[in-house]
Amino acid sequence: MQEATFLILTALAAGSQHGYGIISDVSEISGGRVKLLAGTLYTALDRLRADGLIGVDREEVVENRLRRYYRLTPAGEQRLAAEAARLHAHATAALRRLNPNLAGGLA
Amino acid sequence: MSELEGQGLPQARGDDSASLERGYRRLLATYPGWFRRENEREILAVLMACAQDDQTRPSLEAAVDLLKGAVRMRLRPRPGQPRTVYAAVRLMWLGALAELGALFTIMATAVAVRAAVARTYPDGVNSVNVHIVVDEVAAPIVIVLWLWLAWAHSKRKDPARIALVSFLGLITLSMIGSLAQEAATFAPADLIAGAVLWAIALAAVVLIFTPASNRYFRVREPVLV
Repeated sequence: MQEATFLILTALAAGSQHGYGIISDVSEISGGRVKLLAGTLYTALDRLRADGLIGVDREEVVENRLRRYYRLTPAGEQRLAAEAARLHAHATAALRRLNPNLAGGLA
Repeated sequence: MSELEGQGLPQARGDDSASLERGYRRLLATYPGWFRRENEREILAVLMACAQDDQTRPSLEAAVDLLKGAVRMRLRPRPGQPRTVYAAVRLMWLGALAELGALFTIMATAVAVRAAVARTYPDGVNSVNVHIVVDEVAAPIVIVLWLWLAWAHSKRKDPARIALVSFLGLITLSMIGSLAQEAATFAPADLIAGAVLWAIALAAVVLIFTPASNRYFRVREPVLV
């Protein structure tokens, strides 16, 4: 799973969000390091919808502009949980090897 | 003067925003129609929300990102399009490319083919010349035909499938004709190029008549607007 995809799913894990909300949230989650651009976001959303990992929650029109809210599907939650566990295992292994005492305490 | 400036400012800001939106619309026009119908209004809203106050045109970074997205979307299957139809359409694009390769092969080997025929059948050179000219004229037409077939199948036009089968029939006849005229001896490279094209067309026909493809072309679903 690509980092952008992982962060988009993470942004949706706490509840449904619209496109601009996802961009702000991903920036916050990544500590300002990942700035999603619209082209990247919407091609990722299209792929995630096609794969059944996210769905459209609802649509609103605010100031004559369309806002579509996306949410995780149960399959999306499972994928994100599996991916998070995998990354966590890798990160733990890396930390343990770099600093046995520190990682022993963390794990 | 200051009064004029005061009036001009909001107006100028409106122009900036309209010109920025036009810029984004032009970039979004490169996406496939089904994707635009589904997402354009929303993406535009996000792009405008992300814009700086005085921004008059899309940043280079955003433009490149949107164009990369357009390429990615054009390479993806349309919603509801079975894998078989998607693969067949890719094969038709490949067919156009292979036909271009065949044209170059014919041009590159023309001298060698003429010489080979002349050694065995000194009287046959004229007929070979006619052949080569016909092939060179036909190849660009066939390239256009491949492109049209790819477009029509991706647009879910059922009659295009009949056209594809007729096209395969034509290439088959032309292959049999080439074999009868000892192409294997005199023009082996051209024969291989022809065989590649024939195999591509055959594979496309097989894919386009699988049960999944049949359902896709025969059942007309209401078009989502």
